[in-house]
Amino acid sequence: MANRKIKLSEEELIRALRAREKIAIEALYDMYSSSLNGIIFRIVQHEEIAEDLLQETFVKIWNSFPSFDSEKGRLFTWMSNIARNLSIDKVRSKDFRNNSKNQDIDNTVNFVDEQRNTSLNPDTMGVKELISKLKPEQKTLLDLVYFKGYTHVEAAEELGLPLGTVKTRLRMSIIMLRKYFN
Amino acid sequence: MKVDNIKEFIESGILELYVMGDLSPDESQEVELMAEKHPAIKQELLEIETAMEVYANATAVAPKDSLRDKIINSVNAVETSHVAPETKVVSLRRESNNGFYKIAFAASVAILLISWAALFLVYNKLQNSQEQIASLQGSNRQFANRVNYFNKQLESSKTEISVLRSPDFKFVKLQGTKNAPDASILVAFNPKQKEVMLDLASVKMPENDKQHQYQLWALVDGKPVDLGVFDASADTTGMIRMKELSNAQAFAVTLEPRGGSANPTMEQMMVMGAISI
Repeated sequence: MANRKIKLSEEELIRALRAREKIAIEALYDMYSSSLNGIIFRIVQHEEIAEDLLQETFVKIWNSFPSFDSEKGRLFTWMSNIARNLSIDKVRSKDFRNNSKNQDIDNTVNFVDEQRNTSLNPDTMGVKELISKLKPEQKTLLDLVYFKGYTHVEAAEELGLPLGTVKTRLRMSIIMLRKYFN
Repeated sequence: MKVDNIKEFIESGILELYVMGDLSPDESQEVELMAEKHPAIKQELLEIETAMEVYANATAVAPKDSLRDKIINSVNAVETSHVAPETKVVSLRRESNNGFYKIAFAASVAILLISWAALFLVYNKLQNSQEQIASLQGSNRQFANRVNYFNKQLESSKTEISVLRSPDFKFVKLQGTKNAPDASILVAFNPKQKEVMLDLASVKMPENDKQHQYQLWALVDGKPVDLGVFDASADTTGMIRMKELSNAQAFAVTLEPRGGSANPTMEQMMVMGAISI
């Protein structure tokens, strides 16, 4: 059965989620499952665990949607933080640490890219290119914080950098991204 | 806030950390407040968020196709169970929770009220007891005073009786002179024991003022001998002991400056009487 992907505008989606319409969860999945899965997968680096976490993420998004405040930020920011927090909790849990080999953090992103074919959205092909143009140290930091779930304090420790440097470098790499979009 | 400060706030990198959920609740709240106040900060936040979304999109990892139905069904299952029985369970739980707090709160209030009432009662009782103690102490003191008074009365009555009974006492009634024709006074004299008693109850003399006192004199072989001073007032009773004396022919009372004089002021003689043998 071919999946007909549902797409709504962010406003429509939020309205439908508020009204708890069934179509909302389908649209939500079609629009964001890949992005959220990318975030989760990069953190846990384990396919089955990532699948469970993706499911947990959608259930949590659905259940705690009443606490989402569109005044405070974009829907995706809120959802990605749910996905990231669930993944970090998982990675830091005892049973996870016992079951998985410790991956070298520096290899994380490469590992992901080597192991899986990331779904390349034609709209973001250029972004992919741009990302490859980020300075290596910017990319490392961005991935460490955005995809590995490191706090900026932990990232500073990991990279042996002062907190201020971490913050500025993070900001500079995001500005690079923004330059491309705006 | 000045434009410089807003710029500084933006450039500190705090907004990026906010978007990535890497701030403490306090810091997040600060960012939200600032974004509400300053459109520039809100705009900056929006741009960061958009960039991060596109970045996530560009680095997306598509889940297996089979996962779609599984996840959508699981969310729908949660939703259905939410709508039907679970809602009830949740609301029951809430009710029981609420009920517990309601009962606990009501009990606390009730206990508080009872405590207040009990405290009030005890306080009132304490006040009453203290008042009773005070009044008892007062009447106790009154009784003690009365006992003292009666003791004194008894003592002076005993003295009077002993004087009146004694065959050795001679009673001399001093009569008023022209200074005080109606005045009179009774003096008891015991030559053997050298005692001179003045019966204050018998004193019928004008009251002396504060500057003056009456002085009792004895005439011994024509010479006045000082026997002491006394006051005359309406409420004085009993007998007072005057100075010792073994022999006299007459007694007299003069009005003298307070404390008495060495020699009697004859013009101020109020009463006098000779001792009859």
